[in-house]
Amino acid sequence: MPLSPTQLNALRALLDRLIPADEYPGALAAGTDKFILQLLTHSCAAEATTLAQGLMRLDAEANSCHGQRFAALPATAQDALIRALVQNRTTTPWPATVSAAAFVNRLIDLAAEGFYADPANGGNRDAASWRMIGYDPLLPVRPSAP
Amino acid sequence: MNASHSIYDVIIVGAGLGGGIAAGVLAEAGQRVLVLERGSDLRYRDIPGDHLRHHRLSLYGDNTTHDPAGHPRVFVDPQGGSRTVFPHEAEYHNNALTVGGGSRVWGMQAWRFHPDDFRMATRYGRPAGSSLADWPITYTDLAPYYERAEHEVGVAGDHTTTHYAPRERAFPLPPVPSTPTGAWLARGAAKLGWNAFTPPLAVNTAPYQGRAPCVQCRQCIGFACPTDARNGSHNTLLPRALATGRCTLITRAHVARVLTDTSGRAIGVEYFAPTAPDSAQTERRTAFATTIILAGGAIETARLLLLSNSPQHPHGLGNHSDHVGRHLQGHYYPVVSGLLPAGFENPNLGPGVSIATTQFNHGNPGVIGGAMLANDFVKLPIIFWRSHLPPDIPRWGLANKKAMRELYLRGIDLRGPVQEIPSPDSRVTLDPHVRDRFDLPVARLSGTTHPETVRTAEFIRARAEDWLRAAGAERVWSSAMDLRLSASQHQAGTARLAADPREGVTDSFGRVHGHDNLWITDGSLHVTNGGFNPALTIMALAFRAAAKIAAAH
Repeated sequence: MPLSPTQLNALRALLDRLIPADEYPGALAAGTDKFILQLLTHSCAAEATTLAQGLMRLDAEANSCHGQRFAALPATAQDALIRALVQNRTTTPWPATVSAAAFVNRLIDLAAEGFYADPANGGNRDAASWRMIGYDPLLPVRPSAP
Repeated sequence: MNASHSIYDVIIVGAGLGGGIAAGVLAEAGQRVLVLERGSDLRYRDIPGDHLRHHRLSLYGDNTTHDPAGHPRVFVDPQGGSRTVFPHEAEYHNNALTVGGGSRVWGMQAWRFHPDDFRMATRYGRPAGSSLADWPITYTDLAPYYERAEHEVGVAGDHTTTHYAPRERAFPLPPVPSTPTGAWLARGAAKLGWNAFTPPLAVNTAPYQGRAPCVQCRQCIGFACPTDARNGSHNTLLPRALATGRCTLITRAHVARVLTDTSGRAIGVEYFAPTAPDSAQTERRTAFATTIILAGGAIETARLLLLSNSPQHPHGLGNHSDHVGRHLQGHYYPVVSGLLPAGFENPNLGPGVSIATTQFNHGNPGVIGGAMLANDFVKLPIIFWRSHLPPDIPRWGLANKKAMRELYLRGIDLRGPVQEIPSPDSRVTLDPHVRDRFDLPVARLSGTTHPETVRTAEFIRARAEDWLRAAGAERVWSSAMDLRLSASQHQAGTARLAADPREGVTDSFGRVHGHDNLWITDGSLHVTNGGFNPALTIMALAFRAAAKIAAAH
């Protein structure tokens, strides 16, 4: 497991704001957290430490502003904090290796990659996002190509 | 077969379009042919439909490379910083490494070059600092081989509309079906007084050569075709070569050098290949032939010429005038996005490219050359999210999610392959430090295209915006082009044709100057790369060279 339970909580809370549920499933219901964990174990293993650090800094920022971890904040406070971090407006020190904006922007990309990619990647369960936007690859059930 | 010391009539390095076509023509002409391909011979099920790892979006890998870690390149940025890059990264300038090469996963646009694409220096003059030159052949020289490629590989198109390039025969397949977005763009073009027509695509729009037609799925460019309707070398000329019984295809074979004798004649190749077809163990082998053809793409063919140095050729084969690896070019692609009017019924059917204009390939005021402009392939949702949402849409949150569902089917974009003005400083060399799996120096890519390319690209970008606005797009946006190295899937120019050995690497047929049995049949030959997708020209040159070789034997 590339992330601690606390880091994982922060990740899930963040994903829930990056692609929230509305009348359609959001990132968490579609399994985007599992997609990201899978990437951090394989294709993006080299990024795991940086993202883990970023998630700890996210909690530190939440604590500094509101006295609670990110996951415990109300959605409006979470969104305000995300907006601040995207602009590199921070209240706690971030390590030189990861800026607040780079961290949040990377998570924004990862969330969308999982949510809008093919279901086999693990973050778009039951093709939820594809059904939402009206995309179906229309591949033949039995491909005739050798 | 004992392949460790085998003798053939012809050895072909690379089983992409140029190599596969040469194999088919020569094996059918009675030659014993060995094809060495670094990639694998992939079936449909071997090429995953992974939307994050394919040949249009390769974020974490691609769907054809079998040993990505073993074959890096080095990329030098315009500021001079260099770094080691791997096949899925943009700076690697990859093409599909598999039997069929790029044609296994390509977008299938099968354009003839414009007659003036062969005489760019004469028409426009050579800008200072560029290596712009005429081809040593004309459109008329190549026309019969364009026709052969269209018929033997299989191109769908409407011969009554492709006026810019005179032709004698109709296309063998009817054009791809018109689409509502194509009809909408056609009305826009008519308003502007521009030509607009269905572009030629190498896809079966009807059963052809024993294979099924396209079913208009929405997972096309960058992936394998589920009905094998996409035409390439892997399902046409290469199977024809193998069917003769005279062609041997060895996959996962990496050619290390071309061997020459003291007179300069190519006598064979040294290569690494698995000890058995599925083995991870490799062994070094040698194969001999009377004719050697290089078709590994503009980056690897240049690298192989440079790797094949000898006391007689200390700077590599064909490099007598310091042209090998230089003039590396691809296409600049301005992309202009917009939104179809609200309520537009967009069935979003594949392949998606359904209308093009050649209004701006030449004769544009104040710039050199130009480009064909066309609409694009069916967009994958993740590609739409990354690159085609309006710029003022928030990147996250409910507003982003809502925009995805409201705008995905309203997205429209135009793009065109801008003919590059080549620079001698945009080049492939051997990296002095980084080596591949077999301890061979890897390709080092450096330099940029000539600044005139950027000016032409900006002109074309403005015309694409005009087109979307005239058609009635609700919004239109695009980004400015910057000066950079461009090669990628349309890589070309690194062993260019030249009647005069001082001006290029090969003669007008693709035979390396000074080595009369060493040939090239890939994009390396292109003096300039046309304002069109280059594949049909690669094919035509391969048919022409192979016919010449066959006639001489």
